[in-house]
Amino acid sequence: MGNITLGKYIPMDSPIHKMDPRAKILAMLLILISIFFPVGWIGYSIIFALVSFVIILAKLKFSFIWRSMKPMLFMLFFLLIINSLAIKTGKPLFNIGDFVIYSDAIFNTLYIAVRLLLMIMITTCLTATTKPLEMTLGIEDLLKPFAKIGVPAHEIAMLISIALRFIPDLIEETQRIMKAQESRGVDLKEGKIKEKLMAILSLIVPLFVSAFQRAEDLANAMEARGYVPGEKRTRYKVLKMAFRDYLLLGASFITLVGMIVLSKII
Amino acid sequence: MQIKIQNLSYIYNEGTPYEYKALNDVNLEIEEGKITAIIGETGSGKSTLVQHLNALLLPKEGSIHILDRNITSKEKPKNLKSLRGDVGLVFQFPEYQLFEETVIKDVAFGPKNFNISEEEANKRAREALKLVGLKEEIYEKSPLELSGGQKRRVAIAGVLAMNPKLLVLDEPTAGLDPDGTTKMMQLFKDLNTKHNKSIIIVTHDMEQVFKYCDDVVIMAEGTVKKHISTREFFKDSSLCKEMNILPPDIIRVKDMLKEKGFNIDIKENTIEALSEAIIKEVKHG
Repeated sequence: MGNITLGKYIPMDSPIHKMDPRAKILAMLLILISIFFPVGWIGYSIIFALVSFVIILAKLKFSFIWRSMKPMLFMLFFLLIINSLAIKTGKPLFNIGDFVIYSDAIFNTLYIAVRLLLMIMITTCLTATTKPLEMTLGIEDLLKPFAKIGVPAHEIAMLISIALRFIPDLIEETQRIMKAQESRGVDLKEGKIKEKLMAILSLIVPLFVSAFQRAEDLANAMEARGYVPGEKRTRYKVLKMAFRDYLLLGASFITLVGMIVLSKII
Repeated sequence: MQIKIQNLSYIYNEGTPYEYKALNDVNLEIEEGKITAIIGETGSGKSTLVQHLNALLLPKEGSIHILDRNITSKEKPKNLKSLRGDVGLVFQFPEYQLFEETVIKDVAFGPKNFNISEEEANKRAREALKLVGLKEEIYEKSPLELSGGQKRRVAIAGVLAMNPKLLVLDEPTAGLDPDGTTKMMQLFKDLNTKHNKSIIIVTHDMEQVFKYCDDVVIMAEGTVKKHISTREFFKDSSLCKEMNILPPDIIRVKDMLKEKGFNIDIKENTIEALSEAIIKEVKHG
């Protein structure tokens, strides 16, 4: 479980970490949208430079982003194969037996790889510098305008924060039950299919039972402390936009406009 | 000698910022046929140590010799399964491991994993359930319908049904009512005396250690601080004080009376001996 880097928070003392989550989420959306314009290599180079600047400001390591990218390489490899089969334009580059690979197939795949890399860089900038709790607060505030059309903003945020809160607990519980069943002779690695099914069952049933139990306990504890869904609540942590947050938003907005203009010129 | 642990060390999350050395150079020998208590503060490494006994955790350094098998940092024991059958490990709050449709099926699940026939497994399950004092009418019920204490008994029966030579229990009475606790401890005592099982109990309760256990192992900061017979340990309160442990009631009462100038001198630390000594003092004093 420890080697999943995508979406992990990295505690650091940087100006990016201190920014308002709302500004960061909005900025991320703006830059993500600008990637979807066909701005060519020039445009992507500019975005790459800007995002790299933010990554350096946030004191994140590029190796960390590379590790998030790794699981995607497999997907890109498949894409390369499919592109080589499907795309027959551009110059013929080389051939494997009778099969000719064209330059556009390679370029197309590279193009998507760059976009994917940029997307991962941008989202990592957000998730690695924003505590999960701050993130949910930000999401809640950003969803508030949609409450008028019936989006339960607060409930969604509460759901997300509870889910996040229970992930480590459930991992620990799973390991505990695994050990308990292993002590009863369950072999999770070997055995026939029927035995394996039984082994998985012996894990899942207690896990569900305890998850439901926890959910009920939490619901009771929340109600006992006066929680009513939909009711107005004050917050312990009040979000405040500072100058640097407006700066980030402004810069992101200018980037988006710039990319739209660029895509028209090219 | 049933268990011999040499220079055992264990580290959680090695190589990450969350690295934590739970066991540090543990040396311990536990004899056959005894009830041994393992005590110590939270985080002293009791549970980590206990999980080494059936190779759920493998040592980072050092070796364990248990029931004629060797577990070392370099080699996994070859017949892991047979070791797990011989060392019955009951975790803290074992009721969370119940999953079958009926009580009897759940208890028979353990033995069935060790290639024992359905019939024999059911027979063993019945015996184990009887042993823990559960009535026949609940055998066909779902384990989830039972009360907390009953669930605990079912879970312990599930381990007993594997017929282990050594029973290792991690805080078996945590969260039980006083009556349930006494019955549970009596059950372990019976298993020890009548069924010849060696038992290791991790506990926080000094009264239990005092009443039911032969030996006591005191752990602190991931090492064994002392391994001593219970009788020796509770002879007076000086060792308890040294180890920062509150001694059992009877010893505290004796100490308090002595402090107030009564001449209480008893050979055995039992309620009867103490009350006799008090009566003698009051009559003659």
